[in-house]
Amino acid sequence: MRVKLIYSHGVVEKPILANIVLKTGIPINILEARVNAQKGELIVSIPATGDKLREVLDLFREAGVQVQEFAETLRIDWDKCIACGACISPCPTGALKFRDDWSIEFDDEKCVACKVCVTACPVKAISLP
Amino acid sequence: MDEKERLRTIDEINERIKRGDAVVLTAEEMIKLVESSGLKVAAKEVDVVTTGTFGAMCSSGAFLNFGHSDPPIKMIRCWLNDVPVYKGLAAVDGYLGATSISETRGLEYGGGHVIEELVSGKEVTLRAESYGTDCYPRRHIETVITINDLNQAILVNPRNCYQRYEAATNSSDRILYTYMGTLLPNYGNITFSGAGQLNPLCKDPNYETIGFGTRIFLGGGIGYIIGEGTQHNPESGYGTLMVKGDLKQMNSRYLRGASFHRYGPTLYVGIGVPIPIINMRVAETAALRDEDIFVNIRDYAAPVRPDLRPIVKRVSYAELRSGRVYLGDRRVPSSPLSSYKMAREIAETLKKWILEGTFFLTEPIEPLPRRGKFKPLEVRRREPKVGDVMNRNVITAKPSDDIDSVAAKLVEKGIDHLPVVDDEGKLIGIVTSWDLAKAIAYNKRRLDEIMTRRVITAFENESIDVVVRRMAQHNISGVPVVDAMNRVIGILTTDDISRKIVGGRNII
Repeated sequence: MRVKLIYSHGVVEKPILANIVLKTGIPINILEARVNAQKGELIVSIPATGDKLREVLDLFREAGVQVQEFAETLRIDWDKCIACGACISPCPTGALKFRDDWSIEFDDEKCVACKVCVTACPVKAISLP
Repeated sequence: MDEKERLRTIDEINERIKRGDAVVLTAEEMIKLVESSGLKVAAKEVDVVTTGTFGAMCSSGAFLNFGHSDPPIKMIRCWLNDVPVYKGLAAVDGYLGATSISETRGLEYGGGHVIEELVSGKEVTLRAESYGTDCYPRRHIETVITINDLNQAILVNPRNCYQRYEAATNSSDRILYTYMGTLLPNYGNITFSGAGQLNPLCKDPNYETIGFGTRIFLGGGIGYIIGEGTQHNPESGYGTLMVKGDLKQMNSRYLRGASFHRYGPTLYVGIGVPIPIINMRVAETAALRDEDIFVNIRDYAAPVRPDLRPIVKRVSYAELRSGRVYLGDRRVPSSPLSSYKMAREIAETLKKWILEGTFFLTEPIEPLPRRGKFKPLEVRRREPKVGDVMNRNVITAKPSDDIDSVAAKLVEKGIDHLPVVDDEGKLIGIVTSWDLAKAIAYNKRRLDEIMTRRVITAFENESIDVVVRRMAQHNISGVPVVDAMNRVIGILTTDDISRKIVGGRNII
């Protein structure tokens, strides 16, 4: 599960994420972080589902962090895609790979939205929503 | 059996196509048959092996004839969707090259995209200018056209279908955007091109069946090989093809405009060549597998001409296609730029055409040249090198120097850049007047607290042109010049360059 965590002025200095990792034992992965003295925005991947996931999200909310769920990471226009593979080796997480028939498979869960594939695609089939 | 002993002629194959009993396999199917039944059986059974490739082929374009307007114009300059069309031809003939860059949309859109739009039947804006002549008085025209309005739209690609292509990686510490795609720093990935075991010229590397006049699948229509391509390099196994076909009969599924980030536009071209199995040797090469076809991986970080780019490793297409290549003990991800899926589809389509009896093979009028090399361009005019322009009386500092003495040095000598060296004269950092301002602001005392440690440098024998681009990329105004041992031997600043070189001419 990928979510955006928005820290307001009042909570930005507290080690909320570290506390939640310690408390739940779930290794939350920070994909992107923009933090300054006034506020912070983190994009994190939470490797959990069901009750465990709900628990983590509730802990963030209780600590005063706003939680936004990410519905979609990359948008791939499959009509445009020519299945060349130019996006595959630059992808740092292996989220893009070939299927057995040499078409492209995108694994949303592995994507960290680094955008390297957006510019690597020669036919502009990949965009961020 | 003598490997050149004739198994069948092209006429005999065409007879069988007509009768509907020709045996046609794609190159992949041929490989499987040889593996299961042996080469002799396969050679005896199979009449034609079909191949395919679908990749970025920059040397592509189309001759277009617009017809005459009333009043008529001798088009001197011409654009289609703001992409310049070559007009060094008769009044209303033009050549639209795949890499021609849009004057309004930049590197993202070019000739390749216009060709795709024409083929898919879209309206394209035609604009042209002239000086006006007695016979062609009009001086300006702007209208919209479709491919149906054109008298001729003929795809003529001077270089397509490389036999093999060198793979690419990047040893530098920054991301490179190249015609080989995105290359991550520190050998972060490998990209390659070509369909390997499906690649037309790989399947007849001795050019026994492929030659002038060979009928082919081109962009979804029928095309012809009209000779060897430019840069045809048969002696090294890097042959190329020049091809031609009627754009009006092609399909935008197999002609796709594309653009490589920060490199520019190109055209993905689909080509399939039938290989008639005329003798044992052709049967054998038609069954070559990715494991048997090798290319070099080259380092694109070096700003040198392609054949001088350092070779990192020699690998087979099988290894490249596996998605992981070992560089030393490191597993590096590899991926292609050309579509294997589409290459397969093209080989399948060509097979279908032959089996349906709508595509017949042709006897080449002449084989492709088997001799010839690809020569580099010698630069005979003397070009300024870093060593010609740099200042050899370079002032340096030591890391232990205190800020005050360094500030005094900069003012005294009237300089902005101060390389920091160790006791052996080796470069370990650089300080600029801006760094000194920061030192005062943050109350630092020693040079090694404020110096930049990752220094952008140049070598004495590098071209000024390349170093100027490097400075612009890093947004800096000077570079220390170092020798092979990283000892500082001079300094080159934008000041030196603007003072000593004017308009590309060396006036020192």
